[in-house]
Amino acid sequence: MNKDKIFKLAKGFRGRAKDCIRIARERVEKALQYSYRDRRTKKRDMRSLWIERINAGTRLQGVNYGNFMHGLMKENIQLNRKVLSELSMHESYSFKALVDVSRNAFPGNKKVALPPKKEGVSIVV
Amino acid sequence: KALAGLRRINLEGLRWRVFDAKGEVLGRLASQIAMVVQGKDKPTYAPYREDGDMCIVLNAKEVCVTGRKMTDKFYRWHTGQDGYVGHLKERSLKDQMAKDPTEVIRKAVLRMLPRNKLRDDRDRKLRIFPSSEHPFGDRPLEPFVMPPRKVREMRPRARRALIRAQKKAEQQLQGTGHTRKGKKREVQIEESDG
Repeated sequence: MNKDKIFKLAKGFRGRAKDCIRIARERVEKALQYSYRDRRTKKRDMRSLWIERINAGTRLQGVNYGNFMHGLMKENIQLNRKVLSELSMHESYSFKALVDVSRNAFPGNKKVALPPKKEGVSIVV
Repeated sequence: KALAGLRRINLEGLRWRVFDAKGEVLGRLASQIAMVVQGKDKPTYAPYREDGDMCIVLNAKEVCVTGRKMTDKFYRWHTGQDGYVGHLKERSLKDQMAKDPTEVIRKAVLRMLPRNKLRDDRDRKLRIFPSSEHPFGDRPLEPFVMPPRKVREMRPRARRALIRAQKKAEQQLQGTGHTRKGKKREVQIEESDG
């Protein structure tokens, strides 16, 4: 019964780790350890991915991530990064409005660069 | 030919960005190119797939470096087995530019990309040409030239050298042609006045 459980968990492993119990037991233990660790690091990784996406989206508008979040905190907008990254990907006009709000709340973030860029094309792609 | 070696692996929903390396500092240009080739300037970035734009770099001969890097920056690599001590080869920037100026920018960008499985694909998206001609003129998808950020000229102590060079130029009343230091400061003079 233990063997069956191990082999069930060892599906998709490479080489003899899915067939031979001694190797499979080691690999399954390691896999469970990794999954324990990665349930915690997944939260970190997702947050950093959201931040990268928000950074990209705001830099298209001429504002970088730090100034953007500072402006939002000043205006007490409590949208979290997950939502903000979804907005920057799919709802470009709402995101632009948020960037404008943040720019007003924060001194002097005028158009730093790239006004004539076609933003619609890039975000649709 | 490496130029027309576009296989259908890279999907063609991407833009073609043209970078002009004329007068750009090497590392700063390379970091902008690396951002674009990775696709990190799009909000739809995903680390598991390769989504960067095709980058074309023109005028690779005209890329600049600050300081004394033209003579003092060395590209080093190990030959022979396992990188033993006696097998270190090096080549300076000047010689590399004489030999193949595209390699300078390519190495700079490649060393700025993360070392993962997507690095070779990103290398394939990068096309560098030493002068302004490129065989991609017939591509319809070359809309715009991306202007990278203007870098502030930092002059802690070079100001004195600059004044000296200015005085020398005024005394001699001719453009400083030889030394690259003089040319760089002349560029700085123009940019400061402009």
